[in-house]
Amino acid sequence: MEQFIYYLKVSFKGIKRAPLPYALTIFILSVGLGVFFANATFYYQLNSDPMPHKSDKLFFPMMLLAPYTCTDCKPPRVLSYSNIEKLSQSDIPSAKTAMYSAGGYMRLNASQPALPVSIRITQRDFFSMFEVPLLHGTIWPDNNARHEIILSKATAEKLFGRTDVIGEKLLLDDRHLTVTGVLDDWQMLPRLYDANNRNHLSPVEDVYLPLETGYDMNYLSNTQSQTFDQTDYRQLSTQGRTGALHQLQYWVQLDTPAQQQAYQQFMANLVQDEKAAGRHPSEANNQLIPMRNIVNYFGGDSTDIKAFALVTLLFLLVCLFNASHLSLNRYLGNQYEFSLRRALGASRAQLQLQMLADVILMAVFTITGALITAYGGIKLMNQLLPSNRLFSSWDLTLLLSLLGIAFVCSYLVTLYPSLRASFGNLNQQLKE
Amino acid sequence: MSFYLLCKVLFSRKVVTGLLLVQLAMTLALLLNSILLAQQTQQQLNQPTGLDLNNTLVALLKPTTASLRVYPALQELLDRQLAAVQALPGVIAAAYANQSAILQGGNNGNIYDIEQEERTNIPTVPMYFVSKDFFSVLNGKVLQGELPQHSISLDGPVQPEVVLTKSLADKLFSGESAIGRQSSRGRVAAVIDDFYGQRYSDHVMYNSVQVAPPYGVDWGYSIMLRTQPEQTEAVRQKLADVLRAVEPDIEIFHVRTLAEQHKDLYRNEYGLAMLLAILSALMLLVTMVSSYSSTHFHALKRQQEIGVKRALGASKNTILLELLSENWLCTVIGAVFGIGLALLLNQALAQVITIPPLSWWLPLATCAILLLCVTVATWYPAAIATRISPATATKAL
Repeated sequence: MEQFIYYLKVSFKGIKRAPLPYALTIFILSVGLGVFFANATFYYQLNSDPMPHKSDKLFFPMMLLAPYTCTDCKPPRVLSYSNIEKLSQSDIPSAKTAMYSAGGYMRLNASQPALPVSIRITQRDFFSMFEVPLLHGTIWPDNNARHEIILSKATAEKLFGRTDVIGEKLLLDDRHLTVTGVLDDWQMLPRLYDANNRNHLSPVEDVYLPLETGYDMNYLSNTQSQTFDQTDYRQLSTQGRTGALHQLQYWVQLDTPAQQQAYQQFMANLVQDEKAAGRHPSEANNQLIPMRNIVNYFGGDSTDIKAFALVTLLFLLVCLFNASHLSLNRYLGNQYEFSLRRALGASRAQLQLQMLADVILMAVFTITGALITAYGGIKLMNQLLPSNRLFSSWDLTLLLSLLGIAFVCSYLVTLYPSLRASFGNLNQQLKE
Repeated sequence: MSFYLLCKVLFSRKVVTGLLLVQLAMTLALLLNSILLAQQTQQQLNQPTGLDLNNTLVALLKPTTASLRVYPALQELLDRQLAAVQALPGVIAAAYANQSAILQGGNNGNIYDIEQEERTNIPTVPMYFVSKDFFSVLNGKVLQGELPQHSISLDGPVQPEVVLTKSLADKLFSGESAIGRQSSRGRVAAVIDDFYGQRYSDHVMYNSVQVAPPYGVDWGYSIMLRTQPEQTEAVRQKLADVLRAVEPDIEIFHVRTLAEQHKDLYRNEYGLAMLLAILSALMLLVTMVSSYSSTHFHALKRQQEIGVKRALGASKNTILLELLSENWLCTVIGAVFGIGLALLLNQALAQVITIPPLSWWLPLATCAILLLCVTVATWYPAAIATRISPATATKAL
């Protein structure tokens, strides 16, 4: 330990002798790593799997069940109510849920100002499939229409000032509803259950309403709804249930490969039956998309972050080359001292230990600088690319990886110059 | 000063020169592609919209009670809001619409010539349901026909007439007169100048407008107004209060000019171009640091050599030029590699984003920027080196 402290002291002395090249090396490494860290944070968070233990068991079935003729067409991104009714007939999935989102206004009574809320209109299996934690109350016992609502914890606190509000009444767009559940703190990032139109970048909703009640209350999807016939979308509760008004997402849980195969066969049979009945003229195009591929399927990958990732990697390389260059100059400047030590009997291993002390010191300064730069970089990226704002947080895995990278970079920057100083021709070096 | 000697000096320190060349090449590659992306964003922001962007305001609204979202209460609300907004000093024209111009997407659908559906079917054409002054707000010219003067309900037995933008009319009816022709959305009454509708539609200038109350306002609706140029900001300040005074049970999502809406539409492109510009500036700074440090260090190492040259009659300017020439040569070699690297980076970026290919003049301009930065960075250490006295040469003896 004493020896190591001595090495550190020697390193400090080296820095004091030529502070400018050292400061420039640290500055360049910090900027390179900081910019890289900032973008890596977004890249890592946007591509993370919110349910790694389950995402290969959750599937979005998509079928070209629409009343138009089309060759080589992808299925519509959203399904109609009658599509869902047909898909729900199968008992193969362990769980299944249809859903869409809407916007509404909530208040406790008519005299209160309205609170804008985002609504997820869904079925009971939604909560078990996506592992939504419940704080108070219960989930709906079935998928029937009921004037009951489940609130997020934040919404309950905003509206009532507390979370235990089971049985309380409220008004959602002038209709009376009863609170039957309050969720615990929950955020699913990316929100893969709704990846259409890059909605996976949005936070989870404020309130949850049964699907049948949503249709009865004429809530239209606030993200995508399409009509492929003369259905009047204002008549959602009647025509919306029978016509080709597409606005629903549908998820099934298929735990085993056998279930997945059976469900694909079920989809194929369903299309055949529909075509035989003359309802859907297009060629069959069935897709069973796993949750982990859903963003890619909908073309929602963050291309700006990908492009910037490529460029920041390039920038990091430039900074590494530059820091190596500066470091080499610094070591060559100190070469006489190194050579003198070798002449006095210091072994190459001892010189490498000295170098390790340099690396540790450099890593500490670099990591500090890089974290400050990364923090500033994240703030800047939030300003310039605000749609990715929710994906700017650091977790332990990310931080440890970043620290590891910073240490490796500091080591690489010092490696070649120190080897050159340790292994050169001693006589020549002492003469210079 | 011989070119051969310059090369010899440069390549006598292989590793340092190699590192510098790699940096210069990468800097040039990044700089080139950043400029390309910035240019593209600038072009997108400057493309003609057919609208008076700075003097047209848009307020996006939605009633917060369900009863106000259905007719006749909705019609009465729209009329009251329009009357109040039109009374504001500085407002030239005001109208309501189911959606404003210059959006990503929105209410759109297929449109076709009813006689030739197969040949003329165009998808994702925005459909605007507006009050009659909408055309005055747009301030575009009527090219053919006459604008409808009365609002007709979409639920009535007669379909309201349709006004098409020129590009759409030309596409639908192959350049023939569109007036009186029957489209899938109704009989064509007029053709107006093009204006920017929705970014993700088939063509941003394809739009169809009907003077009719909106079907519904579940997705909100817009009040659009054109103002006198000097009054825009004053109207904007008052607009939210005026609308709330008319009806407190509404949510106002935003009040902004079409110029702001246009910029918001290209926000991601703008953001990425800005990030790349900042990164390019950092890269230039890093390269300048590198050039400075390299020149400074090697001038120190070559003190005796410079002293001998001075003793043999080399002037200060000759020494300065020699040191600068070394850096210029290094920059030019790095730039040649950089152009190749820029092409590769351009292709890699084109896999994930839309980016135009390199033009011939851009590498030259970028090389000039790089040369300028390197010259600025190396000037000071080179100037210091010229101060080395010829007496230094005696130390070499």
